[in-house]
Amino acid sequence: MLELKNMTVRYGKHLAVDAVGFGLTKGEVVVVLGANGAGKSSMLKAIAGMIPVADGSVTLDGDLLTGVPAHQVTNRGIALVPEGRGVVGRMTVEENLRLGATPSRARASEDETIAQVFDIFPRLAERRRQFVHTMSGGEQQMVAVGRAMMSKPDFLLLDEPSLGLAPIVVGDLFKALARVRETGVGLLIVEQNVKISLRHADRGYLLEAGRITGSGTSEELMNDAAVRHAFLGGDI
Amino acid sequence: MLEHVVNGLVLGGTYALVAMGLTIQYGIARIMNLSFGDTIIAACFATYVLFTSLSISPILALLILVPSGYALSNVVYRVIMKPLVARAPDEGALEVDSILVTFGLLFVIQGILLYLFGGGYTSYSFFNTPINVLGTVVAGNRLLALVLSLMIGAALVIILFRTRWGMILRAVALAPKSAPLFGIDTDRAARTAFAIGGAIAATGGVVISMFQTFTATAGVVFTMKALIVVILGGKGSVPGAIVAGLLLGLVETFVAAYVDPGLTLAAVYTVFLLLLLVRPNGIFGKA
Repeated sequence: MLELKNMTVRYGKHLAVDAVGFGLTKGEVVVVLGANGAGKSSMLKAIAGMIPVADGSVTLDGDLLTGVPAHQVTNRGIALVPEGRGVVGRMTVEENLRLGATPSRARASEDETIAQVFDIFPRLAERRRQFVHTMSGGEQQMVAVGRAMMSKPDFLLLDEPSLGLAPIVVGDLFKALARVRETGVGLLIVEQNVKISLRHADRGYLLEAGRITGSGTSEELMNDAAVRHAFLGGDI
Repeated sequence: MLEHVVNGLVLGGTYALVAMGLTIQYGIARIMNLSFGDTIIAACFATYVLFTSLSISPILALLILVPSGYALSNVVYRVIMKPLVARAPDEGALEVDSILVTFGLLFVIQGILLYLFGGGYTSYSFFNTPINVLGTVVAGNRLLALVLSLMIGAALVIILFRTRWGMILRAVALAPKSAPLFGIDTDRAARTAFAIGGAIAATGGVVISMFQTFTATAGVVFTMKALIVVILGGKGSVPGAIVAGLLLGLVETFVAAYVDPGLTLAAVYTVFLLLLLVRPNGIFGKA
């Protein structure tokens, strides 16, 4: 179980994430909805150890993650697919994937996992020797998710995976994410694309100005007046 | 003619070798090491001492000095560079800080060498046997220097491009911000890269001392030439360093032979300027 308790992130005096608390279990898909600047990215980066947590805590199965350096957080079983994807553009697809198996927890099962990634994303198998920076946005996002899977995570954190992708590509991506979830991984997705993310999530939270202002099952949120007003232009 | 080609390749081979060390330190650890040439000279003197007073051949000296270069650079990184990395707000700041600090380190190393060995030209005679290469006679030590440079350079390329270790180092060079997400300890990678650079500098020192005279104050010249090779080849590019190093060695040798030995540096800078006008990011550089 991944648990946030009163997690607070500051940039100088600016409060980016304000005492956020929630948890998720393996195999569960949770979406955090919020507008630009709501603190979604900061929240994920803080969980992954990329930026410091000012107050509160993050725990994984009871073990404290706060203050653990990012590369060790990856080895504990948290994989972040950041905004901008975090792939190495000037390396090939296969190099990116193999590099993703750097954490010691992932080494032994590297070949097995890469077969699993190729099974979920057949396109990557076809393009294993291609340089990532020459690929389309959707394909690069596949590399990013594949690379994250290679570290054998218990929890996968995705920062706006749909950003900049065509609707049909977004649909395929979320179908692939559903298969990743079937392998037992818990997914924490932050999104602005409310419709598709709620369709694939079990439950969700609303993040506004760094604070959680609402929560519920996907169905509840889909029918919530505030969500409809804020994200869906009033009606669906 | 052929004699100059061989001599040019020998010189170029050593340039390529040492430039690889500098480009790895700069590309991966993000440290522009101005004391690099002085590390080379220190290794030259160490080889000289081992050979003349302990009769240890330069080949065996490699086995001692290369690991020493690695270990010492590792310590230098931990003690001097790490605090700079920790406090630098961004890459640009680290670059400026590292230039200032290694500029100081240059004089420390040079001072120690001047104290120990004085300012005179030093050399020793090792494997001076003439060897016939395709009809031209070349000194055995030069040929050995070329072979060693090529072998070590090739080994380095294989490590960087064919092993997981090399893949990790390249990833840190190409995407330093994303590397931790791959589970890569970037601090350790930077330390390793800096230490590999030191080991290569030591290798270069041993190899160069086999066929060239050296002085305690010659480090700056090596740093400058390595820097030119690194920029010509494209910052952080190992294949670029090899091509540019060989090119530089050939240009120097040919200008010395056919134009005027006094014009070698001028010729080097001319090539440097011309190539940068055509390819501002170096031969293998990326925009």
